[in-house]
Amino acid sequence: MAAFRAPPRKGENFELSADLNSEYKEKRKDAIKRVIANMTVQKDVSGLFPDVLKNMQTDDLEQKKLVYLYLMNYAKTQPELVILAVNTFVKDTDDPNPLVRALAIRTMGCLRAEKIIDYLCDPLQKCLRDENPYVRKTAALCVAKLYDLKPELVIENGFLETLQEMIADSNPMVVANTVAALTDIHIAAAAAGSNTEVFVITSAVLNKLLIALNECSEWGRVAILNALGRYETHDDRESEHICERVVPQFQHANASVVLSAIKVIMIHMRSVRSETLTKQLVRKMAPPLVTLLSNPPEVQWVALRDINLLLQKRPDILSNEMRVFFCKLAGPNNVDALLSELKEYASEVDVDFVRRSIKAIGQTAIKIDEAAERCVNVLMELIGTRVSYVVQEGVVVMKDIFRKYPSTYEGVIPTLCANLDELDEPEAKASLIWIIGEYANKIDNADELLGIFVDSFTEESYPVQLQTLTAVVKLFLRKPDTSQGLVQRILNTATKDCDSPDVRDRAYIYWRLLSTDPGAAKAVVLAHRPPISLPRTTVSPALLEELLGEIPSLASVYHKPEETFVGRGRIGADAIPKGGSELADDRATAQKAFQTVAAGQQAENLLNFDDPTSNDGQQPTGLAATTVLTSTPAATNLLSGTSSNPLDDLVSIFGNTGIGTNAAPPPTPGQPQTHLNAFGGLSFGGQPMSPAPPMTPSVLQAVSPPPQQQQQQGAQDDLLGLF
Amino acid sequence: MAIDGLVILDSTGRPIVQSGFRSTSPAYPLLHIEALNDALSKAPRPADADPVLYVPNTGIDGPSACCHVKRGELRFLGLMSGDTDPLYVFAFLETFISILRDYFGQLSAETLKENFDVVYQLLEETLDAGGHPSTTSINALKDIVLPPSLLSKVLSVAGVSGLASPGTNSHPFASPIPWRKVGVRYNSNEIFFDVAEELKAVVNKNGGIIVSSVWGKVHTNCRLSGTPDLLLSFSNAQPLTDCSFHPCVRLQRWSRDKNLSFVPPDGRFILMEYKYTPGGVHHVAVPFALKASVDCEVNGGSFDVALTSRLTTKVLENMNVELYLGEGATSASCVVSNNTSWNFDPRTRILHWNIKAVSPSSSFSLKGTFSSTAEQPRPSHAFRARFEIPQHSFSSLKVDQLKITGEMYKPYKGVRGRSTGDVEWRW
Repeated sequence: MAAFRAPPRKGENFELSADLNSEYKEKRKDAIKRVIANMTVQKDVSGLFPDVLKNMQTDDLEQKKLVYLYLMNYAKTQPELVILAVNTFVKDTDDPNPLVRALAIRTMGCLRAEKIIDYLCDPLQKCLRDENPYVRKTAALCVAKLYDLKPELVIENGFLETLQEMIADSNPMVVANTVAALTDIHIAAAAAGSNTEVFVITSAVLNKLLIALNECSEWGRVAILNALGRYETHDDRESEHICERVVPQFQHANASVVLSAIKVIMIHMRSVRSETLTKQLVRKMAPPLVTLLSNPPEVQWVALRDINLLLQKRPDILSNEMRVFFCKLAGPNNVDALLSELKEYASEVDVDFVRRSIKAIGQTAIKIDEAAERCVNVLMELIGTRVSYVVQEGVVVMKDIFRKYPSTYEGVIPTLCANLDELDEPEAKASLIWIIGEYANKIDNADELLGIFVDSFTEESYPVQLQTLTAVVKLFLRKPDTSQGLVQRILNTATKDCDSPDVRDRAYIYWRLLSTDPGAAKAVVLAHRPPISLPRTTVSPALLEELLGEIPSLASVYHKPEETFVGRGRIGADAIPKGGSELADDRATAQKAFQTVAAGQQAENLLNFDDPTSNDGQQPTGLAATTVLTSTPAATNLLSGTSSNPLDDLVSIFGNTGIGTNAAPPPTPGQPQTHLNAFGGLSFGGQPMSPAPPMTPSVLQAVSPPPQQQQQQGAQDDLLGLF
Repeated sequence: MAIDGLVILDSTGRPIVQSGFRSTSPAYPLLHIEALNDALSKAPRPADADPVLYVPNTGIDGPSACCHVKRGELRFLGLMSGDTDPLYVFAFLETFISILRDYFGQLSAETLKENFDVVYQLLEETLDAGGHPSTTSINALKDIVLPPSLLSKVLSVAGVSGLASPGTNSHPFASPIPWRKVGVRYNSNEIFFDVAEELKAVVNKNGGIIVSSVWGKVHTNCRLSGTPDLLLSFSNAQPLTDCSFHPCVRLQRWSRDKNLSFVPPDGRFILMEYKYTPGGVHHVAVPFALKASVDCEVNGGSFDVALTSRLTTKVLENMNVELYLGEGATSASCVVSNNTSWNFDPRTRILHWNIKAVSPSSSFSLKGTFSSTAEQPRPSHAFRARFEIPQHSFSSLKVDQLKITGEMYKPYKGVRGRSTGDVEWRW
């Protein structure tokens, strides 16, 4: 064995060639091993092709396999030489040993050399009807490979019909592999634009699949379950029947089988009418999902992202299993356990983890009204620790709680203000400034506090500047007598000494408003805002349905429809005309979408349930629904001037704004967004939220947001770039 | 559904084994390897890299993704294109790894290189070029790919060929049961069941249990001749929930009467996995109590820990209590009870306290101080305690009887329990 690990450097191939032609069997075999060893470390041994080929005819199965391995590797570059091997291949498909027959047919399928394909058909015909199941199943998969290379050969030779007959094979392994092959061909045919359905699942086929399901290997089960997911049932009886037969698969040890089975159930449960059965099915889904979480971390990661989707559709699935997920779920009943758990997390060492825990507390407060007070108490306790990042995150979260429950927790404002000096992150600063501005009349020294920020105005980041500006104007409108000087000072600074056009624009607008019609200014700046709510789903209902149909797959893991990030294989990327959009655009969208996914993923971990969502124009039904649903908090947020971190998971504000704007003509990514575009987008987003506002504010709604919009675009290029 | 191929990287991120990638361009696997190494170097800790990496458009091959897992020093990559299920890929990687373990024992770059011919044969057999996993059952695989054995090595060195592959079955897959080969013969027929349970719990500072669950696995070693059909019944199977089974188990039968009916594979396999949820009582009790106080001062702190067994008859073995002392911790000095030892690992900043055996109702203590370069040290808020209890099962699962049909012999049957625990105790 040591011989091939340290072969002589000089004239190695020459020496190998001599050995391959040796009269001693063992020497030849050893030489083949050395050739393969070289091949696998990417050394060029293609020159030895004729010598290796001579060793193909042998009784030693292992040697035969190694020679085949070599042939497969070089067939692409040396197709004319492979022709020499054809006779041996064809002969091998008649070998008395089924292993040799299967090996020969499998290798011929893999050679991918044009010239050899024509010789493949006759042996393949024979092997599809071989007496040995191993040979039959190998041949079935070979048909799919042949289709990939030369579809017309498959059709001419009637292989498709043969495969369809093989679904009735007595051996479950053959059935499963036939299903896999037919599915592959079906997908390839659809991608190539063929109109005929290659693999139609009839009720006769259905029964065969259901029988084979319980008897084949895990991989076969996945193939069969995927096929079952495509079946269209005729009535609810049939759907029930499928569900009942698939449910036992929940207890399979293989996670992939479990999630595929769950997918099938989710699909066919839609047409189950019996309430009891639906309940029973949902109840049975919990244990396998819990079991998935005892798997290695990689599997957990994928499973949790799929579970997230499932929960959005059926929030009740895991209501008794919260402890396994820690804070994945919250209902009023388990909120105490959840809160104390989150509080423990918040005293952990890992900074990022702590921040997410605090965010989660905020989400709980916003989602569950009854729990809000307890959440606020916990938050105040945490802020009391005076650990810098805890305080900052706490302030940000408190701002959202104020938005949801206006005028309820004013008692905590002094504590928040006391921590003013600790804040150094823009988002936390902006949040506190917003709170001060909003409750200016309740805070005695509001002008003093805001004065601090006005003094350092030009040194602050733009979000903080914008927030300060709005807050001071609010203060002025509420207490005009004490803050006249302050407002004058900030408008001056903002319009003259500030380099951000957004800040200047906003300052000019406020100035004009205040000087022409203070009443209108009041109506705009102090307008009552609808309280924020967290959308229960992070993806639109239509997209959710689509993604659930694709569990478990990349699409469901990334929470994106498949075509946005992955073309269908090598042929497919160009072949799917989708919604009439141009190909180049499609590609660009796919790239962009992926960047979004990547950005989203960097910013999330298992704790947050509200990922920044983005949708794309290819989902017309979903879009309509989402826009109405989510634009409310987003648009309000813009109006009120609340600034927020672009990746703020808490309200998904900006992700949703993205959805709002995509109804507008899509700006070319990278090109500065014109105001016209922004108006289009925002008035669209704004309308459903305030159906009958007085005339002035509604115009102003469209005027005041652009600065915010642009600032946000900078920070979040990838999200908006999508549109 | 397509797994394009599999790549195994050594500890430096270089490929040592990779499958054919016959339908992709040669650059395809390289791009994935590069993308992975890139992601690993960017992540603050290697474990922080997403387990599924998207590899953007790779030229003619279109966009694809790469799933990766690390086992020992080796990293296994599953490359996929199209909208494939990542779990499918992970499941395949897991299966392939367990096949390699079965063939070669401990996995290392060295063993794989030494047996590359077997590894390549295994790759060919387990992953069809169309991206479908094919034969992955060990029993069937051993029929078609011979494991490296001393005998075959000796024979090949001695130059005796042909004899080296006496076991090659000329009728592979003739068995109607995919996981069991035909014609198995043993002189003494025996079957062993090892019930291994692990308690995973989180306890708050008052000793209240926040989460506790017991996960069990029934490891089986089957050495029975012929094609035996077994019926295993438990005397108390009711509290077992969230079960998952080896494919050989007849699921309908289990849901009907909680009996396991199956034709076993030959050799070692995991018959079932379950979660144990006691009826009525909400939690499984943690078999020890920990009283701890940790005080943090400037550049250091002190701690005082007492551990008491709550068991009355059994012994907790190899108890290992850990505390992460926080960023900047440099050293610790402790006083511990007799028969226990402690050490501080300055690299991981974890303090370990080892107790070989905690006999029933006994108590142990650990007192000490630590120093840290951080002005306000922030040690972890929880102790992690791991232990073993031999001959014990939390669920007290009992095998009632094992019936065998289809074969005439009376096999020897053995059942054994062992338990481990992994408890997080907050302070």
